[in-house]
Amino acid sequence: MNWVYRGRCWKFGDNIGIDGDMMPLEFALKRELDPKVLGPYLMSGIDPEFAGKVRPGDLIVAGKRFAQGNPHIQGFLGIRAHGLGLIAESIPRGSFRNAVNAGVPFLTNCAGVTEMVETGDDIEADFKSGLFVNHTRGLSREFPPLEAQLLDIIAIGGWRLHLERRVAMMKASQP
Amino acid sequence: MGQTLSEKILSRACGRPVGQGEIVFPEPDLITTHDWYVVNFAKVLDELGVDKLFAPEKLLISTDHEPVATSPLAAQRQRQVRKIVERYGIKHFYDVGRGGHGHVFPMELGYIRPGMLTIAYDIHVTNYGALGCLGIPVVTEITEVLACGSVWLKVPHTVRVNLHGRLSPGTLMRDVAQRLIAELAVDDVDYGVVEYGGPGLADISFAGRQVLCNTPIEIGAKSAIVEPDQHTLDWLAGRVRQPVELIRSDADAAFHRVIDFDLSLAEPQVAVPPTPDKVVGVSQVIGRKIHHAFVGSCAAASFEDLQAAAEILRNRRIHSDVRFFVTPGTQQVLSQAEEAGLMKVFVDAGAAITAPGCGVCAGGKIGPLADEEVSINTGTRNDFGRLGSAKAEIYLASAATVAASAVAGEIVDPREFM
Repeated sequence: MNWVYRGRCWKFGDNIGIDGDMMPLEFALKRELDPKVLGPYLMSGIDPEFAGKVRPGDLIVAGKRFAQGNPHIQGFLGIRAHGLGLIAESIPRGSFRNAVNAGVPFLTNCAGVTEMVETGDDIEADFKSGLFVNHTRGLSREFPPLEAQLLDIIAIGGWRLHLERRVAMMKASQP
Repeated sequence: MGQTLSEKILSRACGRPVGQGEIVFPEPDLITTHDWYVVNFAKVLDELGVDKLFAPEKLLISTDHEPVATSPLAAQRQRQVRKIVERYGIKHFYDVGRGGHGHVFPMELGYIRPGMLTIAYDIHVTNYGALGCLGIPVVTEITEVLACGSVWLKVPHTVRVNLHGRLSPGTLMRDVAQRLIAELAVDDVDYGVVEYGGPGLADISFAGRQVLCNTPIEIGAKSAIVEPDQHTLDWLAGRVRQPVELIRSDADAAFHRVIDFDLSLAEPQVAVPPTPDKVVGVSQVIGRKIHHAFVGSCAAASFEDLQAAAEILRNRRIHSDVRFFVTPGTQQVLSQAEEAGLMKVFVDAGAAITAPGCGVCAGGKIGPLADEEVSINTGTRNDFGRLGSAKAEIYLASAATVAASAVAGEIVDPREFM
């Protein structure tokens, strides 16, 4: 897995909501889990054109309490559908789990990161080391990376694939 | 450096000392799920080719969300649940009319002890914190616990709340629990455990402790727990056979925050739509006309809650514009309330009694709201659409405030009825 993403910055403020901002609530209620279905609606509550503008390797940079609200996973599956990385000042508990379980590479507890960037900047994040670089402004900072066990779940593609592997390993180890 | 109560519990479950922030795979002592998720986990286990649970003896299933099936589809699901229980050899299955609310009756039946770790599907498993058990919800990932015995958790930090003083007349512990989550800082509590202690704790009953452990999850806490004490031992006497250890945080444990909270409130508290932490004094909402009232849910499942409501309803009638539902939390609570004559009070007042379990609070499967209606109840959540129509309004309050409002037909200060 390549842990270094370099691309354009898409900056968001504090308190971006899961339902409505990141993804229409109807997909959570329908329990839609297909990234192909969800991808076109990513961030549509804030910018309906967003999904058409991003490219794989681009990075969402967000403020505090990113993905706050009732922890539905659909918004993170939308991020994954586009191959984006995420850097946030904070992510609440339920969404933290969902980000891991959707297989999204991310950094959180990145205090002050939104002050280092503007949308469109050429930025880079190493999700394994935590190194963050803004090439446009010549800024860099080290943030805390995710723990190895969580990177492992993200690397395999999220919770479901992780669980399949774990079950297979358990079966293999049984006599 | 010492350990917090939660760190101690997780260390034991991991078989090694662990500290906050670490990613761990602890093995729980108990696993719980309810009637609405059994078919779902069984389906995923089938897809994974898992034909036996990692530890079937640890799983407890309660039929509490829809004990009385409300449709042929629900009856079909109950039948599937019973087959799944048999197929996986699950011994701790409490079907309709057996246990009641799964966040409550296991504490009555001696399943829960201080220092235990429970991992659950449903979020209000935090109630077990009332007895010093760390209850952690993981929602859909419960399937991993069932298949493999554990799931990843980040060892949480602890916000210690030291309680002081006593309840003011006319207020219940629900008022305190609502006020507390309105005042705690969301960023402090996020992914943390709220731990209760302090001189005010000694006077708080088991039921009051459950309510204190029920609400913090609404603002993003991972769990809530009470420091076990003499009261815990008294409750457990005759309920558990194993020796009980009063496990507590060390004096030099690293708490993220230590907060002092006074139990005496100026007035009863009401959560206004659309979140349980939007809490105001009852005087701010007095006079709001209501159509629907409910006493029950895992946040108000106890005999004490029923007693508080019944004391107000005795020799009074529910207002003609209001339908009032009462759901005793468990079979034991219902039995106790019956013996104490409370059920007659409810019936005489014009209330509808429902089977023990979640009652109306389980998404309004029974007794929901129509457009433009207003409810005051003791449930856990007040999001728009939580109990039926998204155009209805839900206010959350203590059993006393709910009962008094049901009599008045509008939100009132229950102290006028005492």
